[in-house]
Amino acid sequence: MDFLYSYLVLAEIYVLLGLSTNLLVGIVGIFSVSQAAVFGVGAYIVAACTMSDTLSFIPALVLAAGCGVALNILITLPSLRVSGDYFVVTSFGIQLLATAIFTNWTDGTGGANGLPGIPPPDIFGLPVAETSEFLMLSTVALGLGCLCFWLAMRAPYGRLLRAIREDELAVAAAGKNVLFAKVSAAALAGAFAGSAGGLYGSFLSFVDPSSFDLDASILLLTMVVVGGARTLAGSVIGPFVLLALPQLLALVDIPTTIAAAARQSVYGLLLIAFMLFRPQGLAGEKL
Amino acid sequence: MILLQLLINGIVTGCALGVVAISFSLIYSTTRIFHVAHAGVYTLAGYIAWSLSTRGVPSVLSLLGAVGVCAVVGALIQHQLYHRLERRRASHLVVLIASLGTLAVMQNLIAGIYTPNILQFHISWSQGTMRLGGVLLSYAQILTVLMGIAAYAGMMYFAHRTMLGKRIRAVASNPFLAEITRLEPKTVYVIVIAIASAIVALPGVLVPLDLGLQPYGGIGALLTATIAMIAGGVGSISGAFFLSVAIAVVQNLSLLVIPGEWSIGVTFFIFVIFMLFRPTGLFTAR
Repeated sequence: MDFLYSYLVLAEIYVLLGLSTNLLVGIVGIFSVSQAAVFGVGAYIVAACTMSDTLSFIPALVLAAGCGVALNILITLPSLRVSGDYFVVTSFGIQLLATAIFTNWTDGTGGANGLPGIPPPDIFGLPVAETSEFLMLSTVALGLGCLCFWLAMRAPYGRLLRAIREDELAVAAAGKNVLFAKVSAAALAGAFAGSAGGLYGSFLSFVDPSSFDLDASILLLTMVVVGGARTLAGSVIGPFVLLALPQLLALVDIPTTIAAAARQSVYGLLLIAFMLFRPQGLAGEKL
Repeated sequence: MILLQLLINGIVTGCALGVVAISFSLIYSTTRIFHVAHAGVYTLAGYIAWSLSTRGVPSVLSLLGAVGVCAVVGALIQHQLYHRLERRRASHLVVLIASLGTLAVMQNLIAGIYTPNILQFHISWSQGTMRLGGVLLSYAQILTVLMGIAAYAGMMYFAHRTMLGKRIRAVASNPFLAEITRLEPKTVYVIVIAIASAIVALPGVLVPLDLGLQPYGGIGALLTATIAMIAGGVGSISGAFFLSVAIAVVQNLSLLVIPGEWSIGVTFFIFVIFMLFRPTGLFTAR
């Protein structure tokens, strides 16, 4: 039962990340491989704050979301000003840089060994120690995230973002501020990714750089592509399917030394296959 | 003395990166595809050469084998993937995601078949060293510099003096006009990626002689090369090559004050400076 619960909790956390990636890649159409970096920053901030007792869980989570927003604004503002391909380079750069920081800044992040012993979250004095209790917490977070996403998409703002994806020039000609819309969408995506990171670290009570590297960003992209871009349903389905996949692969007899590589090549194949044969994913709209 | 050694190391790395940059620039300025999978082709070259030479194939033939395999792989990626996507009127984003998927497949297949760890790549002669004015250089490093200069000169000659080079530049500057004047952009794209993949195989084989083979190292090299291409001005062969050398020299000299694991930060810092103050690059074509 605990196994099922922890699968559900992780999937729900990844849905938050899926929403974040979908907002950037699906809705606005910005290619990003640095989502895992923001996710990691959120995780390390919550870990550092709650381990040193400077902040309790909820304020730390808010701080993580805030840092996600700030980081994404800082990344997107200079590069999107120029062109989309500059942002591709920037996001690869940020992702590699973040991995370097997570791995090498031993004092702050514990280096390659990671940070063990992150305390379980407490909500206004109420400890959340059991997996089943954490499931409630993550379900609430998931509900809030989906609500935010849904509200933003049905507002005029959501239509503006979709319009930018279709025809940026027309939107600019209609007198809308394209750069502002893109950067604010990235900021919202940063808030989702940062808070998802906080939940992730507190749930596993351990963070290490391998959860936040380029491969993790590719996994996030695969989740959105498989689930379906541009829809709420797509961002929810993707993580549940993709996180079940390693369990399926475990049934096939693959030596453990190449298990990670095999899993990652399956993600790559899924990306190619979906782009070729079903760009709308399982439940999305055409990318 | 250490300063001189770092300077020379920078030039050696820069020549290798420069070849990656001009090959990427050739693809990017012609097809407008941000060919991320190029990093996978670069990595593949080293492993092919390693497999051949450990089976007793002479080193020159191993190099040529790697070049040939990479050209075929590149042409296949264009013909089987990008061309199909283009036929379906896929957006730029879709092509980019497919390219990233290809990179993930290539890197991880390599890691699965060989090993995710660093493999040492030794050929008897590559271990020899030479002392030039107090600076220690291995034969592999000297060969890298010669290869870099030759590839740069060859590329300049090819792009400006040969019929095919002119055809490629015509397609790059206006694909629509090239289509109606029967320059066949579709064929040119396949040729371009095949040539670029063949060229990138050269540093792909020579760099591991010095540093060993690693399945996931390609993306870092490609990122630096892309930054050099942008800083040099997209479409400028000289810009891409010389900025690669300059960035690699700065990166190596920065080792005096900043530890090596942060060198990606130094490269990225250079990119941010260019992006803020000169986004079109130093030598803009046209």
